[in-house]
Amino acid sequence: MVGLSSGEKQFIQGGIAQDLRCDGRKRLTYRPIYVETGVIPQANGSARIRMGATDVIASVKAELGKPSSLQPDKGKVFIHIDCSPTAEPAFEGRGGEELSAELSVALQCCLLGGKSGAGAAIDLSSLVVVEGKNCWDLYIDGLVVSSDGNLLDALGAAIKAALSNTGIPRVQVTADASSDEQPEVDISDEEFLQFDTSAVPVIVTLTKVGRHYIVDATSEEESQMSSAVSISVNRQGHICGITKRGGAGLDPSIILDMISVAKHVSEQLLNKLDSEIAAAEAEVEDDES
Amino acid sequence: MEYVSPEGLRLDGRRPMEMRQIRAEIGAVAKADGSAVFEMGNTKVIAAVYGPREVQNKSQLIGDQALVRCEYSMANFSTGDRRRKQKGDRRSTEISLVIRQTMEACIMTHLMPRSQIDIYVQVLQADGGTRCACINAATLALADAGIPMRDLVTSCSAGYLNSTPLLDLNYVEDSAGGPDVTVGILPKLDKVTLFQMDSKLPIDILDNVMQLAIEGCKAVANYIREILLENTKELEYRRGV
Repeated sequence: MVGLSSGEKQFIQGGIAQDLRCDGRKRLTYRPIYVETGVIPQANGSARIRMGATDVIASVKAELGKPSSLQPDKGKVFIHIDCSPTAEPAFEGRGGEELSAELSVALQCCLLGGKSGAGAAIDLSSLVVVEGKNCWDLYIDGLVVSSDGNLLDALGAAIKAALSNTGIPRVQVTADASSDEQPEVDISDEEFLQFDTSAVPVIVTLTKVGRHYIVDATSEEESQMSSAVSISVNRQGHICGITKRGGAGLDPSIILDMISVAKHVSEQLLNKLDSEIAAAEAEVEDDES
Repeated sequence: MEYVSPEGLRLDGRRPMEMRQIRAEIGAVAKADGSAVFEMGNTKVIAAVYGPREVQNKSQLIGDQALVRCEYSMANFSTGDRRRKQKGDRRSTEISLVIRQTMEACIMTHLMPRSQIDIYVQVLQADGGTRCACINAATLALADAGIPMRDLVTSCSAGYLNSTPLLDLNYVEDSAGGPDVTVGILPKLDKVTLFQMDSKLPIDILDNVMQLAIEGCKAVANYIREILLENTKELEYRRGV
């Protein structure tokens, strides 16, 4: 809940129009990003991302499951987001469910590709152990601990960091079972396979306030938005998914303009995020040694 | 199963009277009025306090004291095997109630009539003793929010396995089926405000186990006091006093 007076509203809008926002940033500048990996030791991979007062945790858990009969050569990935009431009293009880569902769906669009799994950020065929019998089910859980706007970008970044932190145990098939039985498998507790996360996109949300659009809006700025477009872009500069929120309509030419801006911004964000993730991983290794 | 080895060591290498490592941090949630992270070994919880503020639901307004509310929630990834739980199951409702009653006993609610204080605790990792960790985190968060309290409530659990009283049970010891005594005390006033036990225990042994839990609470209280003092000094320094 953001309570703003009309003076404050004008101040925010005026600042954005003059390319100088309330916290001194320009329209296309992100807040500093802090990455911490391995925060949940019980999970296969986890990360915590902080951007200003926004604080999210993502965890990846892998469980052995059975691939669906339609796609026997692909593993499954599930994304679920929860909004903790610690972030905002309005999320108490079932209050956070609507936002949780909205964020989950947007992240699924941006990370999982189509229904067939084509265009997914994670190579689903790498999750298969025995075709048609055994595969890894990846459960990606996000938790919003503190919210100050731009949750989608933060969650996308947290999932990317958590995936690069994830180790999937190496599995050896010990006994080849006949066609209708489940094969016996031996899960190694020493050897882990790392994911290739270079294809995982980042999400850039452009929030339109007045006649201009900004990245990484705080909740005060979000309360003044007319509409927002979230674009996920990967390392190659390909667009992996787009979602639009907010009530007001957008001119199609503005959307195209936004996409090219998002592409440009995402490059900086990816570089920043990759170096932060590498630094966080190095810190974890230092602690262990 | 053997929970205490002949050498007197527990499964995780602790002595029977030893607590897990505790760690606390104030101000984890920037937007809340008060917040804290509390860790006991692998158990990790975040507490956030909003208020005292205007009562949101007017029908709950109390004319001569503050309304205290609490919600306990567990993250999907907090337990060893992933479980999807819907909010408001019986266990979390019960724990919410326990935390609310414990905190209500120490908040000076009569000083803030017609207002509301919300306490939200979120379990990030569960490894036994979440109830205690939540109460300790909530105390810190309330202190951080500057809410007047009679004393800092602290909580700790103790159990009795292999004819040995054990302090601060972890998940494996907790699920061993032995008695689990959870105690919450007001350390300065030396009063017990929370007392729960499941399973059965001879009365003379209960006394020992309870004393052990109280010792644990006092140790936690000392630590919490240190953390608060440190935090206050830092605030003072930042102000340039």
